[in-house]
Amino acid sequence: MISDLSFREKSAWAMGALSLAITILYLIDVQPISWRTGSAPPVDRDFIKITIAAIVGSIIVQSILAAGNPKDADAPADERERLVLARAGSVSGFVLAFGCVAALLNYLVHPNGNLLFHGILLSLLFSTVAESALQIFFFRRDA
Amino acid sequence: MGKAPPITNRVKLHRMLAGGITQADLADAVGVTRHTIIAIEQGHYSPSLETAFRIARLFGVGVEDVFGWEG
Repeated sequence: MISDLSFREKSAWAMGALSLAITILYLIDVQPISWRTGSAPPVDRDFIKITIAAIVGSIIVQSILAAGNPKDADAPADERERLVLARAGSVSGFVLAFGCVAALLNYLVHPNGNLLFHGILLSLLFSTVAESALQIFFFRRDA
Repeated sequence: MGKAPPITNRVKLHRMLAGGITQADLADAVGVTRHTIIAIEQGHYSPSLETAFRIARLFGVGVEDVFGWEG
């Protein structure tokens, strides 16, 4: 099953799982957050740890995938893959923009900088998860 | 993408006629991935004009011998 996946599809699965894990960790970290009352925990060192974990995790995942498929990893995306990546990127960009605008509008009601920060960062995390999920969906649908 | 395009193809037939070229060999020859060849053969993806010409030229036939319009 896994060997039947293209390199970019494997990459989408791996990055999707990683970004989902990071998003869940972040959500647990900022659990006292409340959009209704406008309260949010301050941005602390856990955020830095999660960010570093995300970067290191991405490098490790991509390195393992590239080591297993060096030829595919070197090859540029072909026309179908570019279409899938562009389409997923377009929708995930919308998710990011929507989340950022929602966080900004919430800031007008609850002028809390921490809440704004968490809102924008969560939008980024959700858009990353959405991008990987959509890539998998489009790759599978056209397979 | 999405709804199956109204373009038919005989890529698999031409692969067989050409001596059993594999999907991977065809993919390498025209510059796409094997998964894209699979998607084309199954009618899930319509290749670009350039790729269609490359495939037809590889088989030594015209584009319309490989691809057709189901309309």
